[in-house]
Amino acid sequence: MGLFSFLKQRTSGQDPARADRGLLLFENTSEVIRAEKILRAAGFAVAVKGPPPEVRTGCDLAVEYPLIEGLNILRRLEEAKVPPLDAIPVTGPLLTPVDLYHVKDFGDHLMVRAANMKITVDKRTGVIVNVSGGGCPDVPWLAARLIGQRLDEAPSPRETGHTLCGYALGLAFEEMKRQCLPS
Amino acid sequence: MSKTVDARGLSCPQPVLEALNAIAAMSSGTLVVLVDTEASKENVCRAVEAKGWTLDSVSEDRGEYRIAISKG
Repeated sequence: MGLFSFLKQRTSGQDPARADRGLLLFENTSEVIRAEKILRAAGFAVAVKGPPPEVRTGCDLAVEYPLIEGLNILRRLEEAKVPPLDAIPVTGPLLTPVDLYHVKDFGDHLMVRAANMKITVDKRTGVIVNVSGGGCPDVPWLAARLIGQRLDEAPSPRETGHTLCGYALGLAFEEMKRQCLPS
Repeated sequence: MSKTVDARGLSCPQPVLEALNAIAAMSSGTLVVLVDTEASKENVCRAVEAKGWTLDSVSEDRGEYRIAISKG
């Protein structure tokens, strides 16, 4: 089986373990990005999600975390001076976090959008054919670096980008890898 | 052989995909792609160059772009 000869069928919102997850809400997107980086580096299983409208505080990103790790996570964030505005359990369907990703299949090509950024890959070859969206100054530079590269060889936009668009593109890039690359 | 892809009114990545599909289907010749946003123009040009095809010209008229590409 070729590297890109299959696609994993993944759908959003089907995590049976959702009830043991919580959401960390922050004042702004920069804090979400910092908190996610700190928590991932510390080995916590966190993910960036869109908060449900009922708990939105102005920032359209939130960090989903395992409730059982809540105390350790809050301590770590306070030490790093990135305390969340609130930490809430995901207890009901109305509080289900919104998946940031939108996947569209164009036949030979697959597009993943995360927030305002889109990445498109040729499914047969795994080559990135397009990067679009956003309005940040590093988007053309990121596009120039990524287009024409194979998904498994391209540099991560999260490492090379410097803006929120670069961060969103990084999320789309990682989701595309999850969709296309064998695990 | 000459062909035109009218991708005006489409949002990315569709202009890029239509251009790539059209030129991939050609053995040789010229393809003209029409788009109506700066971002689509940039993205089509970038994709064409990444594929190793020749970008002959790009012209703009009242917010619409005409991208000429040749293959073979």
